[in-house]
Amino acid sequence: MPAAPPFDPQAIADAKFEEREVRPGVTTKRTICQTCDIACSVVAEVEKGRVVKIRSSDNPIFRDNICMKGIMAPKGLADPTRILQPLKRVGKRGSGEWEKVSWDEAISDIGQRLKAIIAKHGPEAWAVSTSQWNTATDHGLGRRIMNHVGSPNWISGVALCAGNTAAVNRFTYGWFPMGDFANTKCIVLMGHNPRRHSWTPMYNFIRQAQARGAKLIVTDPRRSSSAERADIWLPLKAGSDAAMMLGWLKVILDEELYDKKFVENWTIGFDDLRKRVDEYPLERVAKLTGCDPEMIAKAARMYATEGPSIIPWTPITDMQRNSTSGIRLQSILRSVCGYVDVPGGERLEGFNPDIINESTIEMHHVLSDAQKAKQLGSDQHPAFTYRGQEAFREPTKRVYGQEYANLIMGCHMATPSATFRAMAGQGPYPVKAFFFLGNNPLMSYANMPLIIDAMMNQDLIVAHEHFMTPSAQLADYILPGDSWLERPWLMDSFGWMSSVRPSEKAMEPPGECKSTFEFWKLLAGALDKPELVPWDRLEDFYDYRLEKTGMTFDQLVKKTDIYFAPPKFRQYEKKGFATPSGKVELKSSILEELGFDPLPYFREDPPVDPEYPLKLFTGVREDGFFQTGHRHIPEMRKRHPEPLLFVSPGTATQYHLAEDEWVEVENEMGKISIKVAIKDAMPDDLIRIPHGWWKPEMKQGAGHLSGALKYADAQLCRDDADYLDREQGIPHLKGVPCRINKVEQSEQSVAPASAMEPAE
Amino acid sequence: MSIDEKLLRKRERSAALMMWMAKRSSYNKSLLDKACRWAVNRATTLPPEEDFLRDPLIDNDQGFDPDELDRYQRGETG
Ligand code: SF4
Repeated sequence: MPAAPPFDPQAIADAKFEEREVRPGVTTKRTICQTCDIACSVVAEVEKGRVVKIRSSDNPIFRDNICMKGIMAPKGLADPTRILQPLKRVGKRGSGEWEKVSWDEAISDIGQRLKAIIAKHGPEAWAVSTSQWNTATDHGLGRRIMNHVGSPNWISGVALCAGNTAAVNRFTYGWFPMGDFANTKCIVLMGHNPRRHSWTPMYNFIRQAQARGAKLIVTDPRRSSSAERADIWLPLKAGSDAAMMLGWLKVILDEELYDKKFVENWTIGFDDLRKRVDEYPLERVAKLTGCDPEMIAKAARMYATEGPSIIPWTPITDMQRNSTSGIRLQSILRSVCGYVDVPGGERLEGFNPDIINESTIEMHHVLSDAQKAKQLGSDQHPAFTYRGQEAFREPTKRVYGQEYANLIMGCHMATPSATFRAMAGQGPYPVKAFFFLGNNPLMSYANMPLIIDAMMNQDLIVAHEHFMTPSAQLADYILPGDSWLERPWLMDSFGWMSSVRPSEKAMEPPGECKSTFEFWKLLAGALDKPELVPWDRLEDFYDYRLEKTGMTFDQLVKKTDIYFAPPKFRQYEKKGFATPSGKVELKSSILEELGFDPLPYFREDPPVDPEYPLKLFTGVREDGFFQTGHRHIPEMRKRHPEPLLFVSPGTATQYHLAEDEWVEVENEMGKISIKVAIKDAMPDDLIRIPHGWWKPEMKQGAGHLSGALKYADAQLCRDDADYLDREQGIPHLKGVPCRINKVEQSEQSVAPASAMEPAE
Repeated sequence: MSIDEKLLRKRERSAALMMWMAKRSSYNKSLLDKACRWAVNRATTLPPEEDFLRDPLIDNDQGFDPDELDRYQRGETG
C-alpha cells in the first residue's frame, strides 16, 4: 500500500463510508455469499421479508468481490422447484415416487434405520459425503457425531480440491499457507484462471497486484484470460505441472537463486532434493512439458528473483496423477526461495486463538485407533487419511496448541473411490448407509458408473438438499436445506486462515427448510446422543465459539466485518515447523515412513492407445455455475445453454468438426454428448469438457437422472491405478485419453429436442 | 536469494500496519477508523474501465422486485 496521502480530518469524518443509502422500506444485512466456495463478503438488501438484491460490500477491503452467481442468488433460491418439505421415497429406489413427511417422522425413521445398520454391520458402515463450503453451518458437527458413533468414513469433494492441498502441504512445513496478495511481487497461477465471475476476490487481488507492478506467471495449456495478461505464459502439456516445477527447481538450484540462509537453518533433505532435481535437466523437462527450455528458465528466474512471490492454491495441481508431488513441489519452491511466513510470501497463520475452531468441535480424539484404522482407502492411499496424518499430532500440538488440525476439512478423510467400492460391495467391509449434504456425489467424483452401483446397493440414503439433483433422485429421504440468505454464519476459513467473519441472516427460510446445524442436532437426538449438539440455536453455538473474544455473535456483527489478530511473521523461529523434525522437510519423513518416495517425482502418462488419440481435461467450472449447481436458473442457462466441448481449430479440422455440432466424447470409462465450440485459445489434441452438467428440466429417476447419464463428465473420469495419484488416491483429470465420435445427423436433431424434455 | 534482515523487518512492519488499517477500516466507527477506511479505499480502488472482464450485470447493480420474486416462487412467471 502506498504511503498515506495527506488528508483533511473533517472530510474523512464527513465521508459516506457507511452503508449505501437504500430505498424506503429496504433494510440491509452484511452477509457472506455461499453460492460458491469463495465466501465473498456482500450486502443483502431486504424488502417485504425477502432478499431482493445482493451487492458488493461497502468495506473497501471486500469491494468488487461479487459475481453474477451471487447477484442471481435471490432468484435462484426462489426457484419454484426448490424442495421445501421433507420427502420420503415410496417406490423402488430411483422410481421418482415420493411422499411428503414431517421432519419428526423423517428423522425418527432415519435414526432407527441408521442404528439398525450400525448394529448389524458396525459404525464404519455409515459414510457421509459433504463439505462445509456451502452447507456452512455444519462447523464439524457431522464429524463430531460420526466420531462418537465410530465411523471414519467421511468423504468430500475437497479430496480433489483444496482439502488435499492442505493435507499435502503439511508434509513440507506442517500447515497450509495463504499467499499474501497485498504485498507480493510475483504471482504464479498454475492452470488456475480467476475471473470476474469465478474466484472473484482472487481476480481482484491479482488486478490490484499487477496495478502496483507485480509480475504474473501463468502455466496453462490454454490461452486463458489470465494467460493473456501474464508476463510469462508457459503453455505446458496438461498434467505436467510437477515436471515443470522440477525444471524450475533445477534452474533455481543450479544458478544458486535460492535462499541459502533459510535452506541451511530451516530445512532438511536439501542434498537429496538436489540429486532428485538433477534427474530433470531442462531438455528433459521441455520434452515432458512441451515448453521452450529458455522460457522455463526465464519463469524460474522471475519467480526466484522478483519475489517475495506466491503460488496461490490451484485446483489444477490437485487433480493430477502427480498431485502429491506437484503440491509438494509448490511448497518446496516456496521454501527454498525463502517465501514462507514472510510478507509478500505465504503465511502460515495457524488457528485464531480466540475462536473455538472446527477441528476442536470435530473431536477426532474420541474415535478409537481401531476405527481410524478402518478408514477406507487409508491402506493404499493414506496421504489425507487419519493414517497419513497421524504423525502430525505431536508437532501440531507443539506449534499450534492442539493435536488435530483438519485444515479445509481435508486432513482426515476416507478416499472417495475406496468408499464407493465398499458401498458397491467390493470393499473390505460393507457400507450400507450413505448421507450427503449440499453435495451431488454421483457427479462430483470419478467413476460415476461405480457410484451409481454404490448408491443402488445402499439400505439407507439421506440427502440434505435444495433441489432434486441426480443424486437426490436415488435417495430414501430428501430433507430441505436452508440457504445462505436464510441463516447466520461464522466463517473461519476451515482453519486455513486465522481471520473470522460473521454473516447475518437476511430472511426466513421458506417452507420447512432447515440448516445443517439443525439437521445434525436432530440426528444426534435420534441417535440418543443429544448432548453432542447441546445448543438450542445456531446463534447460541456461535456465542459459545466466540466466548474468548468477549463478544457474542450479535456483538461481533455490530463491531466488524472481519475479526483477526495482528499478523506475526516467521513464527517458526520460536516453535519450529509443525513437522516431525521441526524443520521444512524437503524430503518428507512421513511419506518415507508410509512407504512412499519422500522426494517429489514425475510419473509419465501410460503409452498412448491409438483408439483414444486425444486428451481431455475436465474439472473446469463455467462462470454461471458452481460445480453441478445452478442449471435451474434461467439467466445462467441463457449464458450457458448447453455443455460445450472446447477444441482447437486444428483439431476441429482434423476430425471434421463444425461449430455447434453435437458429438460424443468417449473413453474406456464411458461417453457423453456435447456440443462443439471451436476456440483458437485451445492447443491441438487437447479438449476441454465442462464439469457437472445435467439438466433439471429433463426426465428424473434411475436410467435418466435428469440428463446426468448423457452429459456428466464424471462418466469419463477414471479411477484405475494409472489414473490415480499414488499417495492420495485422487483421480487424474488433466489429460485423460479419449476420442471424439461423430454422431449421425438424425441423432443430432434428436439430441437438442430430448435435452429440453420436461421433468415428470 | 537470502534477503537482508533489515529489509525483511521493514516489510513486516509495513504489512502489519496495513493489516491494522484494514482492521480499523472494518470497524468504521471512530475518526481513526474512518481515516483508515479512506486510506484503504484510495489505495485499493481500481478504475472500473480497467476491469478487462467487465460485465454489465455487475455494473448495473440491479436487484429484484419482491412481489415478482413471490410470483416466481409460486411458479406463476418464468
Ligand atoms: S465469487 Fe460469486 S458466487 Fe462465489 S462467493 Fe463471490 S459472489 Fe458468491
